[in-house]
Amino acid sequence: MGEKVIEIKNISKVYKIDNFKVNALNGINLNVIKGEFVAIMGPSGSGKSTLMNIIGCLDTPTMGSYTLDGQDISKLNDNKLAEIRNKKVGFVFQTFNLLSKFNAIDNIELPLIYYKGRVSRPRKELIMEAINSVGLKGREKHRPSQMSGGERQRVAIARALINSPSIILADEPTGNLDSRTGEEILSIFQDLNMQGRTILLVTHEMDIAKHTERILYLKDGLITGEEKITDPLRAKDILKDMPSLEDRINKIEEKNHNEKNN
Amino acid sequence: MKRIIENIKVAFKSINSNKLRASLTMLGIIIGVGAVVAVMSVGAGAEAAITENLQSMGTNIITISPGRGMPGGEGGMMRELRSGDREEVVEGDLYFEDVTALKKETTLLNEIAPVLTGRSSTIAYMSWNGDASVIGTTEDFLSVEGYKISEGSFFTASDVSNLSNVAVIGSTIVDDYFGKIDPVGEVIKVNGKNFVVIGVLDTIGSTGFGSSPDETVYIPITTAHYKLFGGPSEIDSIIAKLKDENQLDQAMSEVKSILRIQHKILPAEANDFQISSPTQFLETASNVTNILSYTLAGIAAISLLVGGIGIMNIMFVSVTERTREIGIRKAIGAKNRDILIQFLTESIILSLSGGILGVGFAYLISWLLKTFGSLSSLITATPIILALSFSTAIGLIFGIFPAMRAARLSPIESLRYE
Repeated sequence: MGEKVIEIKNISKVYKIDNFKVNALNGINLNVIKGEFVAIMGPSGSGKSTLMNIIGCLDTPTMGSYTLDGQDISKLNDNKLAEIRNKKVGFVFQTFNLLSKFNAIDNIELPLIYYKGRVSRPRKELIMEAINSVGLKGREKHRPSQMSGGERQRVAIARALINSPSIILADEPTGNLDSRTGEEILSIFQDLNMQGRTILLVTHEMDIAKHTERILYLKDGLITGEEKITDPLRAKDILKDMPSLEDRINKIEEKNHNEKNN
Repeated sequence: MKRIIENIKVAFKSINSNKLRASLTMLGIIIGVGAVVAVMSVGAGAEAAITENLQSMGTNIITISPGRGMPGGEGGMMRELRSGDREEVVEGDLYFEDVTALKKETTLLNEIAPVLTGRSSTIAYMSWNGDASVIGTTEDFLSVEGYKISEGSFFTASDVSNLSNVAVIGSTIVDDYFGKIDPVGEVIKVNGKNFVVIGVLDTIGSTGFGSSPDETVYIPITTAHYKLFGGPSEIDSIIAKLKDENQLDQAMSEVKSILRIQHKILPAEANDFQISSPTQFLETASNVTNILSYTLAGIAAISLLVGGIGIMNIMFVSVTERTREIGIRKAIGAKNRDILIQFLTESIILSLSGGILGVGFAYLISWLLKTFGSLSSLITATPIILALSFSTAIGLIFGIFPAMRAARLSPIESLRYE
C-alpha cells in the first residue's frame, strides 16, 4: 500500500434549510492512495457534489475527519481552506470555468497569483511546461471565446496542474464535450496519471468511469460499492478506432464525388 | 508587488470591457472634482490678486489714523471679520507732536512720517491744468513707503522746516503735464501757488485702494499746512515702517502705549486713534475669499458624493455580474481578502481616474475663465491634492461595501451562478 493522499473517516454533511435538516452525506469512509486514478459515480442527489466540495476543500464536513496529504482539514477556516485549495487541489470543471477576459496564459497563471510560497522555477517556464503537457502549443494568446470546448478544457487542466497539486479533482470533465474530444481529454488524464498524478474523476457515465483504476459507487450519501478495474479502457486505443469527424466528412465527400462520376 | 500589479491589470481589464459604463460612472467624479478645483482656483486667483495689491502697499508699514468716533470706526468691520476683537475708538485728532513723541520713544519703528492725505487740488503747468491729489509729508515718507526716485531728489528735512515750495511728482503727472520735457527744475502751480519740481517718483502702479501714488503731487507737510491749505494743525495720518515686519503686533501695542501717554488717556478710557496695517487687510481679505471659496467648494463637493454613490451602484452591478469569476478565483485559492482588494482596487482606479480627468477639466474651466472671462484663476497644488485624495477616499468608502459583498460570496454558490 502506498501513501494515502486522501483519508476520509466517517464524514457526514447536514444542510439546514429553514427548519429541515438534509443529510447529504451519511458517514463516508474513503481512502485514495498516491498515484491512483479513481472514479466516483452516482445518480444526481446521491451526495456526489457535496463529497466533491469537501474533497476539494470548498466545504467542510459536519462530522468526521478528512486528511488531505497528511493535513487534517475538516476544521480549517475559510482562509486556510483557500490556501489548501491553492496548493493541493487542482480543479477541472464540466463548464471549464475559465476567465473569459483572460487569454490561455493568464488563465493558467491564475493559481500562481494566489500562491504564497516561493515558486521553484520562473513562472513563464512553469506555464509553458503546463501548456505543452496538455498539447496547447500555439494557442497561448487565445481567449476562451476563441477556442473550442476541448481546447478550453485543456487550458483548465493546465491551470489545475500549475501548482503541482496533491490531487486533481475533475467534475464531469467530458460532460460538455463530444465523445471524441472527451476521449482526448481522458487520454490527457491517463497520461498525467502515468506520470504519477492522483486523479479523482466524478462522472455518471460508465464508459468514462471505466478509464480509471477504481470506481466508487455513491448512493444516498453513502458509498455503496467499489469496483476495481483490472483492465481500464485506454483512451489512446479508442481514439485510434474512432474516426475523426474530418475523416468522416472526407469519406462522404469522396463517396458523393464517386457517385457523381458514375 | 506582483499581486498589486495583477490587481491593477484586472481592474483595467474589467473597466475596459465596459468602457461606456465606466466613463458614465467616472463622469460624476470628473464633474465633482472639476468643480471643486475650479472654484478653489478662482478663489486662489482672487486672493493672489488682492495680496499682490496689498503687498505693493508694503507689509511692514503701519498706519495710525485719528479716531472717528463711529463704533469700530474705519476698518472696524474688517477687524471684526478678522478676529472679532473690536476695540472701541472715540473721536480724536493726531498732531505733529505725536510724531515727535513716537520718534523719541519707539524701539520697534524705523522712519515715521506724518501725512496730510490726498486733497484734490488744481495743478497747472504752462497752459495745461487739471486736478490731482496733493499729499503733504516729510522727508521720511519715501523710505516708509519704499518708493523710488527716478529723477532729481525727494525733499529734505530742511525743505520741511523752511516751508520750501518744492514738489515731487508721480510718473503719471509727468506724462500728463510734461510729456517729453524734463520736469525737474520746472515750476508748477498748485492751487495758484508756485512750486519747483525737484524730483519724479518711479512708476508704482495702482494699489487698488484710493488714488494712485503715480497721480499724486508730494510737498513738504509744513508748506501744505501753512501756505496751501491753511486750516487747523491736525494731521490726517501717520505712517511708520517697522524694523522687523514679524513684530507687527508688538509694534502696534508700542505705538498704542506711546500715544495713550501722549494723549493723556486714562486706563479706563478708549483710544482716540486707531492703528492698522496692510497685513491686517491681507489677512481679512484672504479670510473672506477663503470662506467664500471653501463654501462654494463644499457645495461642489456634494456632486462628488453623488459621483461616489454612482460608483457604489456600478460596483454592486459588477460584483453580481462577476459572481462566477469570484467563484473561480476562490476555488483556485483566492482568499476573501484577495477578492476584497481586487474590487477595491477597481473602484479606486475608477474614482481616481475620474479625479485626474476632473483636474484636467478644472484646467479647462480655468483657461476658459482666463481667456473669455475677467476672473483670474490660479490652480495651486492644494486643491489638486485635496481633490485627488478625496476621490481616492470616495473610491475606498463607496467601494468597500460592494467589495465586501464580493469577498463574502461562497465559492460553491458562486461557481453555480449562471
